[in-house]
Amino acid sequence: MAGVLTLPVSPTRSRRDPASGHAWRWILLRVGGVAFVLWAAATVTFFAIRLIPGDPAEAILGGPGSQASEEALAEVRREYGLDRPLVVQYLAYLGKLITGDLGQSYSLHKPVITAIGEQFGATLVLAFSSLALAWALALVMAVWSVRGGRVAWAVGSALELVAAAVPHFWLATVLILFFSLTLGILPPVSVAGPTGLVLPALTMAVPLAGFLGQVMRESLLTAMESPFVMTARARGESESRIFWRHTLRHAAIPAVGLSGWAFGSLISGAVVVESVFARQGLGRSLLSAVQVRDVTLVTGIVLVVALAYTIVTLLTDLADRVIDPRRRTADE
Amino acid sequence: MTTPTRRPSRLRTALIATASASLLLLTACSPGGTAQDESSGEPVSGGTLTYASGDAEPSCLDPHVGGNYPQALIATQYLESLVSLDDDGEVIPWLATRWTQSDDGLTWEFSLRDDVSFTDGTPFDAEAVAANIAHVQDPATASSTGYLALQKIASTEVVDPHTVRLHLSAPDSALLESLSQVWVAMESPTALKRSQEENCASPVGTGPFIVDEWNRQDSVTLVRNDDYNSPPADATGSGLPYLDKIVWRFIPDSASRYAALQSGEVQVIDNAQPDTIASAESADSIEELNAPRPGASNRIELNSGKAPFDDERVREAFIRSVDVDAGIKSLFFGTAERSYSPLSSVEPLGLSLPDLFTVDTDAAAALLDDAGWSERDADGYRVKDGQRLTLEFPVSTNQSIPAEQSLFEQIQADAKKAGFEVNLRPLDLSSWYGALAENDYNLVSAPYTKVGPDVLRILYHSDSITPAPSGYFANLAQVSIPELDDLLTRASSTSDADERKALYEDAQRIILEGYYILPLYDQQNHFLYSSSVKGLRAMPTVSTPTFAEAWLAS
Repeated sequence: MAGVLTLPVSPTRSRRDPASGHAWRWILLRVGGVAFVLWAAATVTFFAIRLIPGDPAEAILGGPGSQASEEALAEVRREYGLDRPLVVQYLAYLGKLITGDLGQSYSLHKPVITAIGEQFGATLVLAFSSLALAWALALVMAVWSVRGGRVAWAVGSALELVAAAVPHFWLATVLILFFSLTLGILPPVSVAGPTGLVLPALTMAVPLAGFLGQVMRESLLTAMESPFVMTARARGESESRIFWRHTLRHAAIPAVGLSGWAFGSLISGAVVVESVFARQGLGRSLLSAVQVRDVTLVTGIVLVVALAYTIVTLLTDLADRVIDPRRRTADE
Repeated sequence: MTTPTRRPSRLRTALIATASASLLLLTACSPGGTAQDESSGEPVSGGTLTYASGDAEPSCLDPHVGGNYPQALIATQYLESLVSLDDDGEVIPWLATRWTQSDDGLTWEFSLRDDVSFTDGTPFDAEAVAANIAHVQDPATASSTGYLALQKIASTEVVDPHTVRLHLSAPDSALLESLSQVWVAMESPTALKRSQEENCASPVGTGPFIVDEWNRQDSVTLVRNDDYNSPPADATGSGLPYLDKIVWRFIPDSASRYAALQSGEVQVIDNAQPDTIASAESADSIEELNAPRPGASNRIELNSGKAPFDDERVREAFIRSVDVDAGIKSLFFGTAERSYSPLSSVEPLGLSLPDLFTVDTDAAAALLDDAGWSERDADGYRVKDGQRLTLEFPVSTNQSIPAEQSLFEQIQADAKKAGFEVNLRPLDLSSWYGALAENDYNLVSAPYTKVGPDVLRILYHSDSITPAPSGYFANLAQVSIPELDDLLTRASSTSDADERKALYEDAQRIILEGYYILPLYDQQNHFLYSSSVKGLRAMPTVSTPTFAEAWLAS
């Protein structure tokens, strides 16, 4: 997986290319890639949500038990352009998208961009705290299990495996049972302030830490047996200095590369976690938007998430270059 | 609606309940625990109450728009209607003090209170009533429930500032019941002139609380209306609400909602599930409010519009084969009472005929033999002319709680013994509507909330078989009997109370004796609340709780 995600070193490194030209091509490629990802995400979502049977106009008017009148349905179809052919709707949608207009959410009675703006902050806070927490947990586990001998090794790898396999809703229940109902120290549902963030972030961090930990441990081991460590030893550097200065840095590389993927998985995890803890956020918006077939809102959220994902991937690529000096020299 | 992630929550609720039971044991053993003051004493002013709803967050806080139950729940706290009902179902004054009906039933005159203002300062008067009716009837509002309730109002006439006349297109015996519903409650005409986006976010009424802030997907904050002076005629308190503030939260997950109540994070929860209610019974600090919804009972409709249920013998055989009582007992832990009526038990005009629903498998077998379904195939299902006796049963997972879905599975097992193959198909709401629109069902269960027996006309008049443009229709049993149509039409237009009662009784008898429906129980509506909450009651109209007289004991 890490191999797939380590991007975008151009395979052809010609000496005639000045450094700036290379950078420009790199940027152009990336921007083109982002545009393609966004277009594909918008298109797939737009058509996929229309495969759900039923009349969206009926869904807009409240669904169960509410028999919508003919006039009301006609009004809704006209207002949202649902009476036009699908291709026309699609092209109109793309046209607006290019000008940055994500449209009007019919389930929320407000512009999609406003609706997303209200929710995105909460999800970002949750995703980044979970990511940071997962990193910390994974690092502690990996370091302990690599340096702590055979038993630590066995326990560490078992814990990582279990953590990686735990489903979010189950973990959430166990955490609520323990921290809220037994110890009574943390609220079982989201509240304002940092205390409300702890359980949701922990729920998302633990499975992710399992994944990251496995990867980190592997690369720590590889690094510990690599020639540069031998050289450092030969230089007479102390074991702990070698570990903290050389080995750990090496081990961080694949984990940083994975963070882009991790961010994506955190957003999908947010759908479950935000519902269980009744937390604000895009995941919950997405779930309810799908349930009421709010096409513009679903597409808007998917687009924003896709955009965020590509930005995070870009950032991890950059971070990769900072950590790994080989990348820098290769590009310069 | 609620989330499709409900299934795992049964286990989760059980887990949490077990943990809390051990927690209770711990606290019970600890010395110095202060006993609850049972006398509860004088009401105390002040404090913030947090309410947690399991329903989807409304997309609009103005219940004129769309019009579903989650909107009714919250709007009850800030909007008020022209009339209300008392506990016996009698219509009582609210914002209207008196009303008279013309002899032909086509004109209704309402006298209005002259001392009430909306919370934005706009006076409540005849012009306001006219503006509200116009708002509900305006297609741009996209009202569905309210629109249907006011369908027969052809025009409004402002007689003087405090008298309004409604002219109807046909007599409507259900008009007062319809007007009591919060979906057609009175809003400030000044506020209604704003854009729909604005009015959805902060509708303005005359109620005990005011919408202060809506933090989407988190909470709506309601603050006390310090000028409140318009409680319905059956209110007991002095009028001014005690609570400073209500925080209305949305916690879709059943187990989290109950955990939040136990930990004291919230004081009231709705959509309490049977297993949760059962486990809450052992908790001293938690009380239950059971408020069955008005309108129709929860029932399984037998589609008489196509084979095999176009044959009454097959319908009766199905109903005689399945043991609903046993299922309700084991799955609902005593929280739901069996119904034998098309109407909710809170409807005074409901007719119950339990004898029609006694289980008799021998009689069922004889009926099926008689109807030509006499042979059985290798799997034990009955066949006729090479066709298996198969019943399609699409189930809306949004509208059926887990316990109800389990009940359907038990019905499926009972029916199998009798030779019916029941195909239970759990579907999301849109797909479920799709199956109904394509007439691809033999059994179906659909809730319907409305005040008064006129719901029978919506559900069983043959006019309701004709699908709306959207494909949806309310007469899912596809009952088409001219005599029944006539009874329902007459009942909805008579102004004689006794005649109305007799007509609705005859209508229900035809529906029940024709084996078109299998009643299960009232539409469940359970609330759990901390015992520190006093003065909580459900409105006798659409059974939504009101906090107008509620207070928090310290």
